[in-house]
Amino acid sequence: MNERKLEFLVGDNPFHGISHLSQKRARSRTKEESLFDIERASKLVKFCLENGASGFTFSVSETTLSILETLCQDAQVDLYPVVPYAYEYVRIATKTGGFAGLATKMFKQIALSRDIRVVAPVLFCGLRIDPETFMKTYLMYELSRIRRASSPNGHLKCVILHEVVTDMALALNFRWLFLSYIKFMLKSNVRPGIHTRNLPFLVKKFEEWAIDTSELAILTPFNSIGFEMNPSRIECEKALQNLSRAQVIAMSILASGYLKPIEAIKYVAGIPQIKCIAVGVSSERQAVETFRLLNEQNGKC
Amino acid sequence: MVSVADKKMNVGIVGLGKMGLLHASILNVWPNVRLAGFCDKSWLMRRVAKKILKDVLVTDELEQFMNLDLDVIYVTTPISSHYSVVKTIISKRLAKHLFVEKTLTRTLSESEDICALSKNYGGNTMVGYMKRFCVTFKKAKELLDKKVLGALRSFDAYAYSSDFAEVEQGSTLSLKRGGCLLDIGSHISDIALWFFGDLRVKSARIKSSITQGSIDSINFSVDGSDNLSGNFDVSWVESGYRMPEFGIVIKGSNGVLTVDDYELRLELHGANPLTYYRQDLKDSVFFALGESEYFREDEYFIRSILNGDSSEPTFSTAKKVDALLESARCKTDE
Repeated sequence: MNERKLEFLVGDNPFHGISHLSQKRARSRTKEESLFDIERASKLVKFCLENGASGFTFSVSETTLSILETLCQDAQVDLYPVVPYAYEYVRIATKTGGFAGLATKMFKQIALSRDIRVVAPVLFCGLRIDPETFMKTYLMYELSRIRRASSPNGHLKCVILHEVVTDMALALNFRWLFLSYIKFMLKSNVRPGIHTRNLPFLVKKFEEWAIDTSELAILTPFNSIGFEMNPSRIECEKALQNLSRAQVIAMSILASGYLKPIEAIKYVAGIPQIKCIAVGVSSERQAVETFRLLNEQNGKC
Repeated sequence: MVSVADKKMNVGIVGLGKMGLLHASILNVWPNVRLAGFCDKSWLMRRVAKKILKDVLVTDELEQFMNLDLDVIYVTTPISSHYSVVKTIISKRLAKHLFVEKTLTRTLSESEDICALSKNYGGNTMVGYMKRFCVTFKKAKELLDKKVLGALRSFDAYAYSSDFAEVEQGSTLSLKRGGCLLDIGSHISDIALWFFGDLRVKSARIKSSITQGSIDSINFSVDGSDNLSGNFDVSWVESGYRMPEFGIVIKGSNGVLTVDDYELRLELHGANPLTYYRQDLKDSVFFALGESEYFREDEYFIRSILNGDSSEPTFSTAKKVDALLESARCKTDE
């Protein structure tokens, strides 16, 4: 019945202390389980890889880059980074007094990266204030940070555009941003990924803009209760019918810990267009149970 | 389903920061809403906006909105500028309806001035206290209105963030942002006023940990009607808060209700506790950007205008928050 082979990714939310069920509990759990500890987090990702995950999806931050540095010393891992790490940039904006302060800081940070391929366009873009050049430069900067941290065993499979950028760009009709992003990623031999919490809206816009989705990965929430699925679970399921060739990565499958793994996994595994599942775990025990259930869907157990 | 009217509504946004872009994006998904103008003082933001936004006026002169026949203006500039911006919009009638991000202004006297000016304004006014549109707080309000807790006795409200937890000592950024009381304390104060009606401040304590004169933490106690007493604890220098968090624990004669951004717990005497998570409360929206409450807030405002209804919290409702905050500040001076 289930001929396709699902891929499983381990997510990084627990390492940032994120839970959309209860932030209070996430905070105490992250402290208790020492998930802010780089060694501990890296061991947990490695454990997941040994138990059936094939890749790691993460927001690019100093924390996750440090996890990568440790992890990629002795584990082969496919990487699905999400950029930019919006939360970190909003925090920087707060500290630097708004978007203008953030932009200045970003210019400086990129210029100090000492990578000439990255620095040259940023200087050019700084003079012309060209958003498209700035985006490409920023992506180059992130690619170089990820590649440096993931050497020698990390394999950059896909770079995923964060939902805040995706959804804002969709709403403001920035077709140019998607075209430019996709072209840049394909040229860099990396699959372009898009993260969204508005899948039907994205599908409609991409059809309208004649953007080919066949080479894209789309990271989006899928769970049996429709949590974070906008406008509704049914509309999101319908939207999948127009994405048969894209690599759809289901996230929030446990609805942030609200659902039991067995019922959650049955639901997503039952949707043929879903090719990949991303799930966060906060302990070895949880990893064993989650990946055993996921593997069963592929008839491995 | 997003379909609001046959006529296009022209919208102008003042302030091209995080909140300006967020509201602009959400509004732009309505087929009947047209973003017509942006106004920002930052040369860099205007330059970027001109490059990426098509068929839209981008200016640093608010008066240029005069020629746009705007139905609605959203003011999303820093709080310190709200007074002058809103005053200009009202006095020059730059739009029919007006939305201002919280707080209405930075002082009670400024807000009173604005309310007096807007008395004959005619259009809808609303202040962006978006926590009212969070499904857990909405559910709490519904339960309180049904009097499930019986006679209300006390409450403990909090608003915490880590926004300034790692900011260097002596930095003036916290002063520029207006302090934690305006920034996050206003949200939980609005929720408390919405839940309990008028409150009077009894005592308050401020802590300035970043720089002198900056309100970085504040604790204040209040009295309400029918012997209700309450306590507020607000701080933006707490560590471990990825996002600002708001919550309130309410005690009544029938039990306790605890609500925050994520869950609501109801413990009534002699009954099993009930917990509602966001997941239980139909949190999906037509288009999500940031928290789902932002979409609900904008949808409510636009629909109120189209239906000819008022849109709470209006300027005069929001003025009560400013009065409470000002009273808390004054009590610490005493």
